[in-house]
Amino acid sequence: MRRLWRVASLLWQASPWAMWRGAAAALTVLVMGAALLGLSGWFITATGAAGLAGIGIAFDVFRPSAGVRFLALGRASARYAERLLTHDTTLHALAKLRLALLDRLRHCPIDQLRRLRSAAELTRITADVDALDGLVLRLILPLLAGLLTHIAAFAMLWWLTVPSVALSIAGGYLLGGGLVLWLTARAALVPSKTAERSRQTLRRQVIGLFRGQRETIQQGLLPRRRDELNLTERAEQNAESRLNVIDERAGLVLNLIVTLTAAAALLAGDIAVGLSTLSPAAAAIGFFAALGLAETLLPLRRGLAELGRMHDAAGRILPSETPKPAALPLPEVSPDHQTALVLDRVTVAAPGRQTPLMAALSLTLPLGETTALTGHSGLGKSTLLDAIAAVSAPLSGRVTLLGTSISDWPDKQLREHLTLVPQRARPVGGSIRENLAIACDDLNDSAAWEALTTVELHGVVQRIGGLDATLGESGTGLSGGEARRLALARGVLRRPSVLLLDEPTEGLEGPLARQVLANLKHSLPDTAILIASHRRAEQEMADYLITLQPTHAEK
Amino acid sequence: MRDVLTLTKPQADRLRICAFLRICADLLWVVQAYAVAAVIAGWLEDDDHGIALVILFAATGVLRALLSYGAGRLVFDLGQQVVQHTRRKLLDAQTVRLDAALSSAEVAALVCDKIPLLAPYFTRFRLAMIRVRVVPVAFVLIALTQSWAVAIVLLVTGPLIPVFMALIGLAARDASARQMVEIGAVNRLLVDRIAALPDILLLGGFDRSRALFVTRVDALREKTMAVLRIAFLSSTVLELFSAIGVAMVALYVGFSLLGEITFGIWGAPLSISQGVFLLLLAPDFFQPLRDLAAAWHDKAGAEAVAEELAGLDVAPVLPILGRGAKVAPLFGPISISVNQAETFAGINLPDFSIGPGESVALTGTSGSGKSTSLTALAGLLPLSCGRITVMGQILNAENADAWRARLTLMPQHIHIPDTTLSEFLDPHGTKADLGPALRIAHASDIVAALPHGLDTRLGELGAGVSGGEARRLLLARAFFSGADVILADEPTADLDAVTAGLIIDALRRAQDSGKTVIVASHDPLLIDAMDRTVGLPEVQA
Repeated sequence: MRRLWRVASLLWQASPWAMWRGAAAALTVLVMGAALLGLSGWFITATGAAGLAGIGIAFDVFRPSAGVRFLALGRASARYAERLLTHDTTLHALAKLRLALLDRLRHCPIDQLRRLRSAAELTRITADVDALDGLVLRLILPLLAGLLTHIAAFAMLWWLTVPSVALSIAGGYLLGGGLVLWLTARAALVPSKTAERSRQTLRRQVIGLFRGQRETIQQGLLPRRRDELNLTERAEQNAESRLNVIDERAGLVLNLIVTLTAAAALLAGDIAVGLSTLSPAAAAIGFFAALGLAETLLPLRRGLAELGRMHDAAGRILPSETPKPAALPLPEVSPDHQTALVLDRVTVAAPGRQTPLMAALSLTLPLGETTALTGHSGLGKSTLLDAIAAVSAPLSGRVTLLGTSISDWPDKQLREHLTLVPQRARPVGGSIRENLAIACDDLNDSAAWEALTTVELHGVVQRIGGLDATLGESGTGLSGGEARRLALARGVLRRPSVLLLDEPTEGLEGPLARQVLANLKHSLPDTAILIASHRRAEQEMADYLITLQPTHAEK
Repeated sequence: MRDVLTLTKPQADRLRICAFLRICADLLWVVQAYAVAAVIAGWLEDDDHGIALVILFAATGVLRALLSYGAGRLVFDLGQQVVQHTRRKLLDAQTVRLDAALSSAEVAALVCDKIPLLAPYFTRFRLAMIRVRVVPVAFVLIALTQSWAVAIVLLVTGPLIPVFMALIGLAARDASARQMVEIGAVNRLLVDRIAALPDILLLGGFDRSRALFVTRVDALREKTMAVLRIAFLSSTVLELFSAIGVAMVALYVGFSLLGEITFGIWGAPLSISQGVFLLLLAPDFFQPLRDLAAAWHDKAGAEAVAEELAGLDVAPVLPILGRGAKVAPLFGPISISVNQAETFAGINLPDFSIGPGESVALTGTSGSGKSTSLTALAGLLPLSCGRITVMGQILNAENADAWRARLTLMPQHIHIPDTTLSEFLDPHGTKADLGPALRIAHASDIVAALPHGLDTRLGELGAGVSGGEARRLLLARAFFSGADVILADEPTADLDAVTAGLIIDALRRAQDSGKTVIVASHDPLLIDAMDRTVGLPEVQA
C-alpha cells in the first residue's frame, strides 16, 4: 500500500487547496443528505406525536419545514459544486501525475526511452496513468469526505440523541467500512495483476497476429494462433470474473453494513425510547441519519474494485527507486575550439551485443567542415552517431569533443555544443512554433523562418498556415520527408559546434537534398557537420568522405 | 455486426432472471419500510414489538443484499459471454482478409478496449432499463394505497418520465463528451511527448518542452471545466427533482399528521406508521431513475462500438482462399500458370507459366500491381476473373492451404514477431538443424553475433535486427521450410549494394537447388539475376 500512499501524497501536494475544496464540497453533500433524512424523520415523528397529543396547532412547523426545503435545494446545489470541484481536483491531479512521469523519464538513458516508442509500451503507460486517475475521484476524496462526515455526524448524534445511537452508527460504518476496505484491497491485488497482464498479452497477440498475418496464413498457422488467442482471452475473462466476485462481495458486505448499522441505530433508539431516555422523534433522527450516511460508503465500491489495478500501476509509473542523474553533477568543462571532434580507434556494437560492428575508426573533424560517413547497412552508422552523442557507450576507443572526453561533459553543457538529429526524429503534436521552440529559448519569428528556410520548408509551412499551423500527434500533417526537415530545422536552431545528422535527406529528390545541405553549410559556417548517409547527394556535398570498413573477421 | 446489442433467446432469458432478482430486491424495501414505520409508530403508541420488527428489518436487508449479489454475478457472466462472442466473430472475419480494413493497432483496440464496453451495456444499462419500467410504477401504486396525494407528488416530480428521460439523455451526452475531452486529450498529449522525449533530450529541450506541456494541459483543463459547468447542470436538475420529491412527501406527511392538511387520503386520517412508511418509500422510488441516468453513458459507449462494428460489414470483404491451416502439401512437381487473371481491385496479373528450378522477375512501375500479383499467386487474394493454375489444378478455396504448404512468401515489410529466433525460423517446432539453411542464406554470422544465438528474443525493437539481416533470416526460414516456391517482394529494396548482393546470391542458390523463384522488383541487378522478366502493364492514371 506504500506505493499508493506515495502516489496519493504526490497528487495531494499537486494542489492541496483544490483537494481540500473538493473534499469540503463532498462533505457538504454528505452532511446535507444525512441531515435531510434525519430532519425529515424527526419532523414526521414529532408532528405525529404532536398530532396524537392534540397540540398540533401549537407545533412550530415553520422552522423544520424551512429546514427541509433548504436542505433539499441546498443538497442539489452542493452536489453541483461538488461535481465541478472534484473534477477540477482530478484534472489537477491528472496533470501532476503525467508531469511526474515525464520528470522521472527524463533521467532514463535515451536508448531506453527509444524502446518506449512502441505502440504496446505507450498503450501500457496510458492504461497505467488512467488507472491512477481514479485514485483521487474514487478513493481519496470520498474517503476523506466520508471520514469527516462521520466525525460531524457522531458529534451531532451524541448531542441530539444518546451515546448508544451515536456509537452504533459510527462503529458500524467506520469499523465495518475499514474492514471491508482492507479485505477487498488485499483480495483484489493478485487477480487484478493477472487480469492486467493477460489483457496486455491479448493486445500483444492480436497486434502480432495481424502484423504477421500473411506469414501466419502462408505457414498454415492461423488456427493455432487463434487457439492461443482464445486461451489468453479465457485467462483474461477468468481473472476479470474473479475480480467481479470480489467486487460483488464488497458490494454485498457494504450493503450488509448499511442494513445492520441502520438496524443497530433503530434498536438502540428502541431501547432508549423504552427506557424513556430519548424522545421518539430524536430516536428517529438516529435511524434516518444512519440511512443517509450510507452515501459515505457505497460510492467507495468502485474505487475498491480498482484498488488492485491502481496499486499495480503505481509500481510501474512511480517505482520506489527513480533513476538518479549522475551521482555528482559533472563540473563544467571549458571547450577548446581547436578541433571539434576527435575519434580515437572507436568501435561500436549493436545493443546488447559484444562483437564490434565495424573496424576501429579514428578521425578528426575540424570546425566548419562537413564530413560524410558511408558504409553498407549493418556496419553501425547510426550506432556510431549514438556513441559520439553519448547516447550509448562505444565498445572501445575514445570520443573527444572540443578537447574534452565525451564522458566528462555534463549533459546540459554537452547538448549546447553537440546536437544529434536521429533518423527517426519526430515532431510533437502542436504548432510548428512549438516544435521549433523546443530547440531554443526565446524563439522569435525571424529566427524560426530563417531555420525553416535553411531546410527548404518555408514554402510548406506557409502553405499549411504559417508558424501557428498545428500538427497532429507525432507530426501528422507533414510528409515523412517534411517531418525530417522540421527536425533538421530544430538542429539548426541549436547552432551547435558539432552537428550529427543521420540520413537527413532520405526521401528527398536529389536537387532538393543538395540545396538543403548547401543551405545548412551556409547558415552554420563554424559548425563541424557529420552526416551518416548512403546517398550520393551527401557524399558529393561533403568536404570529406569516410567509409566505414567491416571488421577483419568478415571477408 | 450491428446485432451485437441484441441478445439470443437464452441470454435474454438470463437478463430477465437477473432483472427479476434485482426488482425483488428493490421491492423488499417495502417490507423494510413497513418494519421501520411500525417500530417508530410503536414508540409513540407504547407498543412493544420493537425487537421483532428490527430483526425483520435486518433480515430483509440481508436478503436484499444477497439478491443483488446474485443478480450482479449472473449478469456479469452474461456480459462476458457477449464480449467473447463478439470478439471471436470479429477475429473470424478479420483474420482471413488481407484488404486491411483495419490496422493491427485498430483491431487490438477493438478487441481489448472497445468490445469490452458492450458488457456494461447489458449489465448496467439494460438492467436499469427493465427496473425503471417496474419499480417506480410499483412504488407509486403502493403509495396510492396509502395516500393519493403522495402518489401524485411522486408522479409529478418523478415520471414526467419523458421529460426525465430527455434530461437524462442530455446529461449523458454531455457526460460522454466530457470523458472524451478530459482524459483522452491529456493522454494523447502525454503519449506524444513520451514518444518524442529522446529527440527532446538530444535538443537539451526538456525544460522548454515541459513548460509547453504544462501550458497545454492547463488550457485543456480550462476548456474541460467550461464543458463540465454546463454538462453537470442537467444532472443537477435530475438530482433536484428527486430532492424536491422527498422534501414534498416529508412536508405533506408532517402537515397531515398535524391535521393541517386533510386532503389526499382515503377516509381515516394519516397515521404515523403510514407517514413514516411513505417517507421511506420516496427516495427508493427515485433510485432506479438515478441508476438509469448513471448507466446512460454505458449505452452511448456500447452504441458507438456497435456502430463501428457495423461499419466494418459495409465494405465488401475479400477473404483469402482457404483457412490458413496446416494441411498436407499439394503433390507433384511445381507448375504455375496465370491466365487472364484480374483482381477485384481491377489489377491485371501478367500471363506467364513457370516450372521447377526456374526464376522470373515481375517488373513494372510502382502501383502496377507487382505485390498484388505475388499475393494472388499465394492464394491470399480472390480473383474476379481469369485463373491461376497450380500443378494442373485451378487455385481455389479447397486447395489453397495445400498450395501454400509448398511455398514461402517474403513480404517487403517484414514483421519480426516477439519470439525467439529459433521459433521464428522453425515455426512448426520440428527442432531440425537450422545450420545449413542459415549458411545458404548468408545468415550464419547474424546468428553468431546475437547475444544468445538462436535463443535470442527478437521483437519489434528488441535485438535490433537490421532490414538486410531480417531479409536474410527470412530467406533462411524459406530454405529451412523446404518450400519449393519462393515469392519475394522487393527483396533488395533499401539495401546497400553489398547486402543486396548477398540476397541475390542466396536467391540464385535457391534456384540452383531446384526451387522456383518469383520476385517482384525494380532493382536491375536482381532482375538480371533471374532467368526472365515479365512486365506488368502500365497503369492508366
